[in-house]
Amino acid sequence: MNIKEAITIINQMQADGVIGRYAIAGAVGATFYLEPVTTLDVDIFVAFRAEPGKLILSLRPIYDYLAARGCPTEGEYIVIAGWPVQFLPPGTPLVEEALNEAIEHDIDGEPVRVFSAEHLCAIALQVGRAKDKARLLQFVEAGAFEAARFQSILTRHGLVDRWQQFERQFLRDQP
Amino acid sequence: MSFDLQRVLESKRAYRQKLAARPVAEKLRLLDELCERAHAIRRASAAVHEPGKVAEDPAPYEAKRRAGKTR
Repeated sequence: MNIKEAITIINQMQADGVIGRYAIAGAVGATFYLEPVTTLDVDIFVAFRAEPGKLILSLRPIYDYLAARGCPTEGEYIVIAGWPVQFLPPGTPLVEEALNEAIEHDIDGEPVRVFSAEHLCAIALQVGRAKDKARLLQFVEAGAFEAARFQSILTRHGLVDRWQQFERQFLRDQP
Repeated sequence: MSFDLQRVLESKRAYRQKLAARPVAEKLRLLDELCERAHAIRRASAAVHEPGKVAEDPAPYEAKRRAGKTR
């Protein structure tokens, strides 16, 4: 498995015009700001390009491009450099904003776009499963995000109440 | 070796901070190894999976839910 190699292939796919802007989210995205977190796959949000004459966005060009380069499919995943990768359209205004405002990082000369720490935190709050809350706590504990930017995202996307509830549950009731 | 819980927790926190501060390329190499282990564990545990076991739905995003891709 080699995540850097997977990113190189995805960058080439973007350069070849198969996908538009992309950004890494999930545990792999969080690793750019925190300690590495165990995960099974890579979530990549993509600005899809509609095929000519079609209104429905299709993953077909991505699958075809990668299959031609020897990347097998496993269920809804495409395996790139050993990593199961899932390409996703931004399904909410928050994720759409996260994609638009993703940060460009550098891995030994290879550029890669990743959701900002503040957007990763807001998405974790919005999704709200146990492991998302645990990740949000990691960000809080590490002081790995900018509070003012995070608050403005929460306000824009109607997540202030949920954050207050999270604070009451996890950040104030400490023994 | 100390069994002072407070010191143990502080030590763990310090280690996590040290890992987080490493260069991204190094952290991604660690992630490669972690993922390989996670897949190996999943393969092994799938062989002894018990029906009726409670597990959290892993589908994390609205896009996945809309696509009906919950697993």
